[in-house]
Amino acid sequence: MNETDFKNRIYIDPFTADKEILDSAASNPILQEILNQTQKMDEDIRGIMDAVETPDGLKEKLLAIPQTDETESASEKTSKMLAERPAANSSFFQYFAIASSLMLALGVTFSLTYNSGPSSAEIAFGNEVINHLYHESVEIEAINSGLSLDLVAMPMVANAMTGIGTRLVSNSFITKIPVRFAKPCIIIPAYDSVHLMIEGSEGAVSVFVINNSPVSIEYKINDDRFNGIVVPMSNGNMILVGEANEDLGEYKQLFSDNIEWVI
Amino acid sequence: MSDIPVLYGSNKKQRYESLVAALYQDVFRYALWLCKNKPLAEDLVQETFLRAWRALESLQNDKAAKAWLFTILRRENARLYERYRPELVDIEGQAIAERDENEPDFKMDRELLHNAINRLESEYREPLLLQVIGGFSGKEIAAILDLNNNTVMTRLFRARSKLKVEFGSEDPGPAAEQPTD
Repeated sequence: MNETDFKNRIYIDPFTADKEILDSAASNPILQEILNQTQKMDEDIRGIMDAVETPDGLKEKLLAIPQTDETESASEKTSKMLAERPAANSSFFQYFAIASSLMLALGVTFSLTYNSGPSSAEIAFGNEVINHLYHESVEIEAINSGLSLDLVAMPMVANAMTGIGTRLVSNSFITKIPVRFAKPCIIIPAYDSVHLMIEGSEGAVSVFVINNSPVSIEYKINDDRFNGIVVPMSNGNMILVGEANEDLGEYKQLFSDNIEWVI
Repeated sequence: MSDIPVLYGSNKKQRYESLVAALYQDVFRYALWLCKNKPLAEDLVQETFLRAWRALESLQNDKAAKAWLFTILRRENARLYERYRPELVDIEGQAIAERDENEPDFKMDRELLHNAINRLESEYREPLLLQVIGGFSGKEIAAILDLNNNTVMTRLFRARSKLKVEFGSEDPGPAAEQPTD
């Protein structure tokens, strides 16, 4: 084996167990020296990596994640319960519940950031979604004017969902909704997203699911024409956008309950 | 190296704890090389393990745990850059400075190598670090980086060639005749 061939092989894997490589090195001092130098360089790189010390307390923070995650889920459930139970609005219950929530919040030690509203990046993300709608205006106008009457078959909807790492837990709910459009789309480069259009009471309602980082808080988006809502999910976001007067609450509930992420 | 089982225990929490204990240091080191900022790397690692915890049931083959974590980490890093681009301080020399080496020559060589790795284009640096830090095979690196196997081989070859050239132990000429991507 000549020197060039030898280098071509060991530069890919200096610690190869390939007998041909090892025999060549054993019988040729020059090749052996090249092998030794290349292996030493890898050991030095590994040494540099090992010299990086992990921050104090990082392991403990990571080990605390299961407990913290459960605490957050409990806190979310408490908030949801309060929102869904108007009968429980006695002032005593309210104060008790607020105090409980505060206690839960104080127990959260994991360094996630909680904001009172969406960040500027999240607002920009919402704007991107609305901008995207104007690229699909032909489809939207076709639905709004009643020209688009074709229903997308369920396998097509399922296929579009699968493409971004999600699936519908139950197909039955969506069979009751006229889906006119279901395609992969690009809202943010490098992230997969799917765009469904269903027929709402005021016209087309777009449902986007994108596998970018979940937003910190659910928030509304709108412009002169559209209104929408960005909903964080476990591994991405769902965005619903319809015409200004469209009531999105029912759709939000339906899709939130039925979309499951599959990593 | 990457196929060592790391998930022990009879329940999800125990399996998660064994995953953390076995791999959190390598995940942090890789995160630091990816984002070049310690606080950010720490956040990335926490976010990575949070997602790992939530999706632990989906990890069917525990031998693939390390590749799985590194894939989540790379995705989180990309998300971070999508949301905002913080000003980064290059880690040049920081890692070296942390270890108290008594041999100045040894330390200088390591610093030179460290800087040379930093200067590598990311397309060459990433597969090299995945191989050295992660112990991943070419196929595993190809899967993590979403490249084909030949491209990974070529990039590994070029990464080491470039480092050798930096150190003057390699003529930049003939060894650069590897197949193209």
